[in-house]
Amino acid sequence: MAESRDDFIIAIRSAFLKKSTKQKFSLLTLVFFSIFIIVLSNFKFKAIIVTKSVIKEIVYRSSFIVSIPENFIKSSYLNLNEYSNFYKEFKKIEEELDQLKSENISTKIIKSENEELKSLIDGYSFTSDKILAKVIVDHESPFLRSIIINKGSKEKIKIGTNIYDRSYLVGRVIEVNFTNSRVLLLTDLNSNIPVSITPGNVQAIVVGNGDRKGEIKYIKNDLVKEINDKGIAYTSGTGSIFKSGIPVGTVDLKNENKKIFINFYSDFTQLKYVFAEIDEPIVAPVITEENDQSKSSSNTEQIKLDLISDELQILEESNTKFLMENKELNTLRNELTKQIEILKAENEFQKNVIQQHDLNQEELEFLRLNLIYSAKCQSKKLFSTGFKVGTPEYKECIMRKGKKSD
Amino acid sequence: MSVFNEFDFNYLNIDYFSFNFPFILIFYFALKAYQRFDYLLVFLAGLFNDTVVGLPLGISSLSYILICIFATYLRNITISPNLIKDWFYFLFIISLINSINFSVLFLFFSYELDITLFIVNNFFTFLFYIIFSIFFKRYLKSLDD
Repeated sequence: MAESRDDFIIAIRSAFLKKSTKQKFSLLTLVFFSIFIIVLSNFKFKAIIVTKSVIKEIVYRSSFIVSIPENFIKSSYLNLNEYSNFYKEFKKIEEELDQLKSENISTKIIKSENEELKSLIDGYSFTSDKILAKVIVDHESPFLRSIIINKGSKEKIKIGTNIYDRSYLVGRVIEVNFTNSRVLLLTDLNSNIPVSITPGNVQAIVVGNGDRKGEIKYIKNDLVKEINDKGIAYTSGTGSIFKSGIPVGTVDLKNENKKIFINFYSDFTQLKYVFAEIDEPIVAPVITEENDQSKSSSNTEQIKLDLISDELQILEESNTKFLMENKELNTLRNELTKQIEILKAENEFQKNVIQQHDLNQEELEFLRLNLIYSAKCQSKKLFSTGFKVGTPEYKECIMRKGKKSD
Repeated sequence: MSVFNEFDFNYLNIDYFSFNFPFILIFYFALKAYQRFDYLLVFLAGLFNDTVVGLPLGISSLSYILICIFATYLRNITISPNLIKDWFYFLFIISLINSINFSVLFLFFSYELDITLFIVNNFFTFLFYIIFSIFFKRYLKSLDD
């Protein structure tokens, strides 16, 4: 009994303390060292934070380099797929572009109005600047959903900076280093997003399910019925974690366990480039009321001016078009007038011809009747009752077939 | 090694599927080819893994070093090695270490974690050990030859 206990202790001691020729530290030392680091990192000890930051800089860069072949294979495969669907997508995009162009002007107007109203409510406005960032590491743990981007405190990225894929929200920054930052994706279990769901304007919290979707939680039971399938979820801005009005995803009610899920607009596994929104608040100065109003509305006025100049440009273009058309029509009108004049002249000529023809007919009739009735109408020397030849009375008499009066 | 973390192998995107390759690698080499590597490097690999995965610094290092300790203990008490016994001993170790990880993350660092993922990860790591051990055995044999 005592012997087996001794063996056990020897084996344990050997496991913890014995060092082979290659070992610089015993395992027990390393265990203590690990626990020491964990404890210090829990208390956010400065030396640990600095060490962590240095390791991160090295690891993220080297990890990016190591991942190059893998990423190359991935991107080649995706490129091949993209080329095969290129034409279909092109047609689809063309249609979408036409639609978006038409919607663009109304959106700009709404945006400017929105800015104006916001400035009235808050007394200050944000100038947001989106910078493009490359996803350098997306190797995730199965338990955590996060990515590393190549922009850090050097580019004014802060903890909480909103990250976008096109105009869709993908997450927020949770760690900032000098040249890179870690972004917690919306799918992570620790991600909570306050959203509004349309139609119905239902307020809820979307929590990542650790996979590819978000789950709607913390909602009043009586409001659940108001949520429709395919309803749109966008950030409500509650809690000032995310800006308001950013599209998040669509509601998915078609599942077996009666949970309400959100299908995010972005595919988080395919992120290559993202946008980081850097907000710089501009507090409106409180010098005079007039200045205040003029400054707060200067941006809006600028936007409006831009819009008006756009409209003016459109009007000028259409005006030039109309002028061209007008010129063409004038030329056409002149040509037509000329044609009408020619036709009129022709008509006149025809009329003359017809008139001449009528006169000729009348003359012919007179000559014919003259042969018959000249004796009756001619004047005689004795008892003269007729008319002198060549006078109009004579002609009338002939035309009346010898009758001298009515 | 830190880049070879669990998620990289899941190209098929199977729900919940993941396994911990570093656990298999460290356990096997600490058990069978301990003279070929330095524990300090394992410790550093843990720090790197924490940084890549985003876990608090030191968690993976502790896990890896614990695996080394258990593997060394097993090596010391074993007279005639048996693959199946090693395999079930490995299951016990990874279950214990994953439990410690889960507890530390949940209790001290307030992480929201899905326990199903841990259980599935544990199961697949256990399952894949036998496949990788055959592969590593051939690899070491080819090195010796």
